[in-house]
Amino acid sequence: MNLTPSQWAALLPLLIPTLGACLIPLMSLDKDQASAKWIRGAMYGTALLAVGASFWYLTGLWNTGAQPSFFQLRMDRLAQFTGIFVLVAAALTILQSWDHFHQEGWVKGETLSLLLFSVVGMMLFASTTHFAVLFLGLELFSIPLYALVGTVRARAESAEGGMKYFLTGAVASSCFLMGGVLICGLGGNFDLAAAALTLKVQGLALDPLVLVGAALLLLGFLFKVSAVPFHQWTPDAYEASPHPIAGFMSVATKGVAFIALLRIFPGSLAPLSGVGVKLQSVVAVLAVATLVLGNLTALVQTNVKRMLAYSSISHAGYLMLAFVAGTPAAFSGMLYYLVIYLAMNMGAFGLLTAFGLVGEHTTFDDLRGLGWKRPAMGVAAAIFMLSLAGIPPLGGFFGKYMIFRELVSTGHVGMAILGVLASLVSAYYYLRFLVALFLQAPSAEAERLASDRPAVHAPYAGATVLVAAGIVLAGGFLQTFLADGFTRRALVDGLGLIR
Amino acid sequence: MTWLTSHPLSILVFGPALLGFLLLALPHKLGRLSRMLGLMGALAIFALSLAWLLGHRGNGAILAERAAWFTLVGLPVDYALSVDGLNLWLVLLTTFLVPLTMLGTWNSLKDRLGTFAALFLMLETGMLGALMAQDLFFFYLFWEAMLIPMYFMIGVWGGDERRYAANKFFLYTLSGSLLWLVALLYLANKAGGFNPILMGQAATLLPFDVQCWLFIAFAVAFAIKVPLFPLHTWLPDAHVQAPTAGSVILAGVLLKLGGYGFIRFAIPMFPQAALHYAKPLAILSVIAIVYGALVAMVQRDIKKLVAYSSVSHMGFVMLGLASFTVIGTQGAMLQMLNHGISTGALFLLVGMLYDRAHTRMIADFGGVAVKMPVFTTFFFIVTLSSIGLPLTNGFVGEFWILNGTFLSGFTWGRLYACLATSGVLLGAVYMLWMFKRVFWGPENKDEDSGTHHLHADLNAREIAVMLPIVVLIFWMGIHPKTFVAISEAPVAALLLEIKAPAPRTFVLKPAVHRAPAAPAPASGSHGHAEPAAHEVHR
Repeated sequence: MNLTPSQWAALLPLLIPTLGACLIPLMSLDKDQASAKWIRGAMYGTALLAVGASFWYLTGLWNTGAQPSFFQLRMDRLAQFTGIFVLVAAALTILQSWDHFHQEGWVKGETLSLLLFSVVGMMLFASTTHFAVLFLGLELFSIPLYALVGTVRARAESAEGGMKYFLTGAVASSCFLMGGVLICGLGGNFDLAAAALTLKVQGLALDPLVLVGAALLLLGFLFKVSAVPFHQWTPDAYEASPHPIAGFMSVATKGVAFIALLRIFPGSLAPLSGVGVKLQSVVAVLAVATLVLGNLTALVQTNVKRMLAYSSISHAGYLMLAFVAGTPAAFSGMLYYLVIYLAMNMGAFGLLTAFGLVGEHTTFDDLRGLGWKRPAMGVAAAIFMLSLAGIPPLGGFFGKYMIFRELVSTGHVGMAILGVLASLVSAYYYLRFLVALFLQAPSAEAERLASDRPAVHAPYAGATVLVAAGIVLAGGFLQTFLADGFTRRALVDGLGLIR
Repeated sequence: MTWLTSHPLSILVFGPALLGFLLLALPHKLGRLSRMLGLMGALAIFALSLAWLLGHRGNGAILAERAAWFTLVGLPVDYALSVDGLNLWLVLLTTFLVPLTMLGTWNSLKDRLGTFAALFLMLETGMLGALMAQDLFFFYLFWEAMLIPMYFMIGVWGGDERRYAANKFFLYTLSGSLLWLVALLYLANKAGGFNPILMGQAATLLPFDVQCWLFIAFAVAFAIKVPLFPLHTWLPDAHVQAPTAGSVILAGVLLKLGGYGFIRFAIPMFPQAALHYAKPLAILSVIAIVYGALVAMVQRDIKKLVAYSSVSHMGFVMLGLASFTVIGTQGAMLQMLNHGISTGALFLLVGMLYDRAHTRMIADFGGVAVKMPVFTTFFFIVTLSSIGLPLTNGFVGEFWILNGTFLSGFTWGRLYACLATSGVLLGAVYMLWMFKRVFWGPENKDEDSGTHHLHADLNAREIAVMLPIVVLIFWMGIHPKTFVAISEAPVAALLLEIKAPAPRTFVLKPAVHRAPAAPAPASGSHGHAEPAAHEVHR
């Protein structure tokens, strides 16, 4: 097995986190030692180092412009983009979880190991068109996440949420598998692109079985992005998970699933254009349902994490609108949206850690008055919430703008109107977050509880929040740099290769 | 340095926000220092705006900056700012009102002074940017960004119902502008960019019903801001709950942006649709005038009364614009300035009263004139200006608007002018009745009454705030030409370009009132007022 240097460079970003994931459990083997401070530091240090090194190699690869494609891996620009995206999310998650698990009084090495495995799985998932590898990636990132959701063993809800996520996820995975088997089996090739081409040549492009296969594949993706009607797991899983893990799931799972969907559907399955058109209308209907249901349900939540879960559902709706438009510019806008969404959501979940809201104390009432107590966090919160609502000149607005613009130019004016109405509704519940932070004084009981509790120390979470706020602001003011230099190149170079 | 001197408008627009971010970074303890720095910054911006904008004369833009900014999804966006005849005085009104309001409400707030000053300066950036932007995307950014500081100003420092009012204000305005964004994208897609001129050209090529829909989207977004009946319902809540400074700026500048949006964008870009909808606009304006006045009459809270009077006064602005005559539009331009000065002053005065008495209920007062003679004098002058007494600013604007409507080429002109005139009458009724109950009569000796708590008349700071306003009230009433001469040419050119129906000439002197065939010389405003006076006395 001889690999060229550039192939090694493409493989290392996957190998390094795997190595890190294997090392970390070894460090925490001794139960007593795991509680020692220096071992914890070493575990977190290893995880960060692994993520950092992987990031280093990926950005290096990006800068050379090389897009090596070997074995069943396609480390093209789109895959590199995904890798950078996931690694940034992972780094923020690791930093936040240091603070969060200390607040919860529960630090274990396995969480980091699982997280790193999940990162590798995500990178794999988005950098292949070979169905076996694709499924491998899907399971490699899903199974650690099922476990991570149920991490906090002290809380019964945690296990419940993890179980719910696992059961529904398993069903979705098997649907995904069935769909892939149908297409690959009929096409006679494990590579989806090649299978699709064969099917087209054989004139089976509109065969009902192919349609069913494609629909089942789509279902698998839509489950991961938590689109209606496959969204029910989302609020429970988010509420059950530790805050950083919820943030990671909301961002990375969704992002990677959308990117893989982009690679498979408009990409590999392009020869099956008839199926594509049919499924596009399905996506359109589901996008509308997702927007409506996600936003309306978010309105009535009292728990911030559940609100953010429904908000994440509704954001899946906006991102699905990019598929309704279906133009390269729309997909570029989608990638841009994902970058900003990463910062907004990791920031929003990071805030919960930074404010020291542990356990079930994550209702809007628990947030009251915190914006004035922690002004820097408060400003960051305002940036995240207004950006999530799509208020200019913040990054979230430009993401929505790019998608809506493509919707309008492809003649989907009605969808665009629905989209803006949805973001109007969403503004209300995002404002509610700010109302609690700034406009409401803390209740007497909360004051009393706060005085009992030790002061919150969450320096790393605070730092990640500020970094995320910086990204959101950059998304508003350096949008050309991000959109043209990063997302568009990922899309054009990446999809150009697979087409 | 060379960049700074060659980008005066950028400094005016972004200077306040930069200072605002700086103040935000200062610790809470330095609130009083921040407030002082904020005032200094706002005064500096006012001084700079006077120096840079008043020095220049001539047609076209006084100052302009334009550069390609970025191209996203194939649509170029320009960094385009300019000050010309249409927005010069609105810009100056903004830079004037901000420091004045800061000084006028110096001691009104007790906590988080630094944050308030910072938000105020960011708001100034939003307002100036929206007034100067010559690219619709750029305009949209400012238009929306303006909501954020105002939201917090109402929500944090407002009255008891502040959260409700702030949310309502934010969501109401957002609803209009989001739908407008879709229209904007639709048109930008046809025009290949956000340049208003190119977009206007692209719009004329579209089918008429599409033009109408686009115009409606624009008009609704702007009408919410104005606010035009029946989209005014956010205003009383926002005005009443906002802290004094917020109310002043809301009335003084934010509402103007709606009217300005019509004359800058909606009307020039969709002339046919605008003329098509002139009558509905006029009907809504007349309803706003009369309804606003009637509702103002029955208010028990002075601030709420002033808020409803805003609905009535801004109705005049919309009526003037809907008349599509030079004099009516010029009247609307002047009325926007008038309203900014008079209503801004009224809110300031109500704030001063509230700071002393901690109530704004009319019934709690009576005989204030005895206790606060200086205050009463100022209030009386501003009241007269709001009523529109001749020699004060209110008269000129309303008169021109009514005149323009009466003479407009539309068949409904005369009837609506007559109906709207009743608004002037009602205005006198509600203002004077309120004045009588609050200031005159025997002193309210009740222990709980507002009058009982009035101990000090206006201090030197408050007088210093009111004096420039009083000077402006009379200046604008006696020599309005200063303020409208510069907009005469662009307004005339605009009306000519959109082929507005020629005003009627059923008077003895037919030649005077022909629509101006060429951009009229800048002396026209008086020339127009005189024959109109004949008309009335006939």
